[in-house]
Amino acid sequence: MMVQVTVDPLSRIEGHYRINTEVDGEGVITDAQSNGLQLRGFERLFQKHDPRDAALLSQRICGVCPVSHGITAANALDELFGVAGEVPKNALVMRNIHQALNFVASHAAHIYVLWGPDLANPAYRDILAKYGDVGNAVWKELSGRFAPLIYQLNGTSYPAGSSYLGAIEEFRRLHEAISLIAGKMPHPVLQNVGGVVYSPTVADIGQLVGYVSKTMEFIEAITLGVSPDTWIENTYRATSPQKAVNFVIERLQELLNNSLSNNNFSHSAGWGDVPLFAAFGSELIGEKLLGLPISMKMDRAGAYKDPDKIGFLSYGVFFKPEKGDGYDPTSPADSRVIPSGYMNGYFKLEKFDYSKISESITHSFYIDEEKDRPPWNGVTVPEGNPENIDYTRGSESRYSWAKAPNYNGVPCEVGPLARMMIMGEPLTTGLVKTFQDNGYYPVNNYTRMIARMQEILVVIPELLKWLTQDLQAGGKVAVHTDLSMAANSKGMGLWEAPRGALGHWIATGPDSMVTLYQAVVPSTWNLAPRNSQEIPSPVEQALIGTKISAAENALGVDYSNPLGILHTARSYDPCLACAVHTIDKTGKHPDYTIRVL
Amino acid sequence: MGGSETGNASLLEKFKNLDFMKMDRRTFIKAVGVLGASLFLQTYKSDLAKALELSETKVVWLHGVMDSGCTISMLDGGSPDIVEFLQVYNLKLLYHEVLMMQQGIFVDGKLANTSELNSEILLDEIMEREKGYVLVSEGAVANGPQGSGKYLMLGGRPYKEIYEKVAKNASVIVAIGQCATNSGVNAAKSDIAELMDPRGIAFTMEDSSKGIVELLGINTPVINIGGCPAHPDWVFLTIGAVVLGKIKVPDDLPYVLDQWKRPKVFFPPDHVVHDNCPRRGYYDRGEFDLTVGGEKCLWKLGCKGPYSHADCGTRHWNGHLNLCPMAGSPCISCVEPGFPDSSRPFFVEIEKTGIVGTNISTIAGVAIGGALLAAGAHAVRRTVMKRPEDEEGSAEESTPEETGGEK
Repeated sequence: MMVQVTVDPLSRIEGHYRINTEVDGEGVITDAQSNGLQLRGFERLFQKHDPRDAALLSQRICGVCPVSHGITAANALDELFGVAGEVPKNALVMRNIHQALNFVASHAAHIYVLWGPDLANPAYRDILAKYGDVGNAVWKELSGRFAPLIYQLNGTSYPAGSSYLGAIEEFRRLHEAISLIAGKMPHPVLQNVGGVVYSPTVADIGQLVGYVSKTMEFIEAITLGVSPDTWIENTYRATSPQKAVNFVIERLQELLNNSLSNNNFSHSAGWGDVPLFAAFGSELIGEKLLGLPISMKMDRAGAYKDPDKIGFLSYGVFFKPEKGDGYDPTSPADSRVIPSGYMNGYFKLEKFDYSKISESITHSFYIDEEKDRPPWNGVTVPEGNPENIDYTRGSESRYSWAKAPNYNGVPCEVGPLARMMIMGEPLTTGLVKTFQDNGYYPVNNYTRMIARMQEILVVIPELLKWLTQDLQAGGKVAVHTDLSMAANSKGMGLWEAPRGALGHWIATGPDSMVTLYQAVVPSTWNLAPRNSQEIPSPVEQALIGTKISAAENALGVDYSNPLGILHTARSYDPCLACAVHTIDKTGKHPDYTIRVL
Repeated sequence: MGGSETGNASLLEKFKNLDFMKMDRRTFIKAVGVLGASLFLQTYKSDLAKALELSETKVVWLHGVMDSGCTISMLDGGSPDIVEFLQVYNLKLLYHEVLMMQQGIFVDGKLANTSELNSEILLDEIMEREKGYVLVSEGAVANGPQGSGKYLMLGGRPYKEIYEKVAKNASVIVAIGQCATNSGVNAAKSDIAELMDPRGIAFTMEDSSKGIVELLGINTPVINIGGCPAHPDWVFLTIGAVVLGKIKVPDDLPYVLDQWKRPKVFFPPDHVVHDNCPRRGYYDRGEFDLTVGGEKCLWKLGCKGPYSHADCGTRHWNGHLNLCPMAGSPCISCVEPGFPDSSRPFFVEIEKTGIVGTNISTIAGVAIGGALLAAGAHAVRRTVMKRPEDEEGSAEESTPEETGGEK
């Protein structure tokens, strides 16, 4: 018996998204299609216009990661104007700071506001209730921390969770910090060709450190339950991946020793949100290594089964200030704090080569005689016949407004997990190995979420270093450019948004006006349809083989509460407004007239 | 922002009997400038307290073609924040894609579970049972291709169909952000703009005949809160004013809204960002930045502040902290109906390029023509170094003790 389970729309993401699955009688997903539901047609806005507009206008692709689009566009403009080698160090540090604040805010929003509420799904109440006082105590914590603003349970409104509300406050605080140096947020105005538009004062720097310090108080009290310094020292700065994993497991063991007798899993007992999730989220860590009676088994879901069909990609992010002025736009691994790199499905790391990126459109609602094209040659004509826009025709059909990007022909996961693995971050690397050694698929919903949490702790000490050691108040932040410098040129911006690799490609004609603009964004990588070789996208691969209901169908198969889909799809931090874009074929259509008063 | 305590006390006394949404723009700017937005809200505490005695007002929040930036901006609101906003005005938020537990769930094509987990059942229940709610509209409505609306589908149906049903039963539509008010970046001119055909709620760019309400015959009154994104204060205070009965819908709308259906207190017809720009002094002395990263006037780098009807200069963004020109960027006039076409190129001085994509014979053209005249006057003044106080209309509200001084 096959049952079709469809989530449409998948809420608590950015944009509009649908997932369709086939589920067998055992409650295991056997097929999946990832559908981007809206056409935005964004990149065409740049055609025939002044390229400099892109640093501000491209931010409107995404209200959650406008900072990343702004910086990526500015990077592309630097190369287009031929000034990438001269951008002042101070401007590069400002880009780092701007991006780091956005990383922390965006990760917090994803973890707590978008992804977290699924931990308060009533299925967990029912599962945990079977484990008596321990179970009920854990449910009290999950629902009391992660319930969203709109939530009814058994006909009555359920109050929003404490961590959920606290995270919104931190999100607001970090956006204030961005606004301080970038005018406003979202859609800040800091980024520009050749640098940034604002040189900070000493007072600004002090205030920024103040904002970050406040957020670190939240991280200590609510997220970690230990001081960020202790956590960072023993994980990100651990001398080996095994030591990082040991630190976490020992910490969890200590917490459990104190709590199992009195069933106190509260924040005040030291159970930050990360320890709570780290213990009760994983079957291996929680049940097998710590001896818990129950877990949410996130490590059993959202895994890739065929290492030949998946890779992991990072374009690299955060300029190394010690390299001084200027940077190489092709992003060599040693020039970025979080490096560029490609890791194959067997976790073998290779040097990143941007020329291996292409996009397929065979399963997307676009018309083109070519199946695959590199971004420099990107073409998209959207389907114009309403009859042909149908999401229900299965895996063989065209079924999404997203294209399918590939690296050397292979679909790639992008985002914090890919970055942390490529960086060799000790805790992430250690967890991946621990799962591998114990017969688990090492990439799963659990490692994907832990990597996102961990990346906050990787970024914060770097952010503080840039603010207090590298940033020079009143320093030079831009080189002068003139529009004529962009004539007959090309530029590529490679960077990382919080949710993964982000690239902008731009070309101009003799009048310096844009002839091509192409953006390949994180959610296009993660949430694509199949590629031209019929290889399912990362999210489709991760769904296939995942059980449909909570904790590996712990209460039996419940098709009507498909937490397996919800956790897996949301674990990629979907951003569909980014992913569904189009550019029209250069020169195919007649020019329209720009009327000038 | 400041003012002495006694100054605040007398102003509190002066303002406390005034209806903030009906204040003329000078009074409003004075009130916000002197009190700051938080204290301004405090002034209306008794009105807010009354809200709790009012019956609950239901709010439905829909997302069309957009980037969620306005939802993010609302989460960034601080006075009040979004949770306080819902509490003090006694609002019940029924549906909001980003803030709810639910999602659409179908098993073999049929709706599954209940409205507590399934957003499509929730939406159906709202469409069947609810009436008289406030509809907050974020994003444009996809009309293409060929009027099918299939460029945005949700739960297997075109968003256009959902929108029609939900909008018809609302008591008022509050369109937030440029995508909703004028279709914004979605409707920017391009070779596939006609095919895509994204519609703003009451206008598509400057054209009211192309708003989705006109197309679908929706008679619900519309209030537009523009901006890319919309400022949370603009949205929360406007909805608050409606809920408290400070604005009677639809009777008061012709008096409190401008020709683009925007509240005049936030988008004053006779006030532009330039008027309160922190870099205004440099403009008046004719000192201009020619490369970004400086501290002088940004006019020659393309600033559209003199054309932008919004209170950014007094209100500021994100905790009332900053605004674009203060942070070194030319204003790109993201609040005006023709945005982004009317603001481009962003980084070229307007006197060199004119305003792209506008037509002087339209209402928009008249408005911008007026702004051009003003800019011409400024240019003359710059030449002869006339004092700003001599500029018409600016003398009355620009004395420091009334505006709270320079930031």
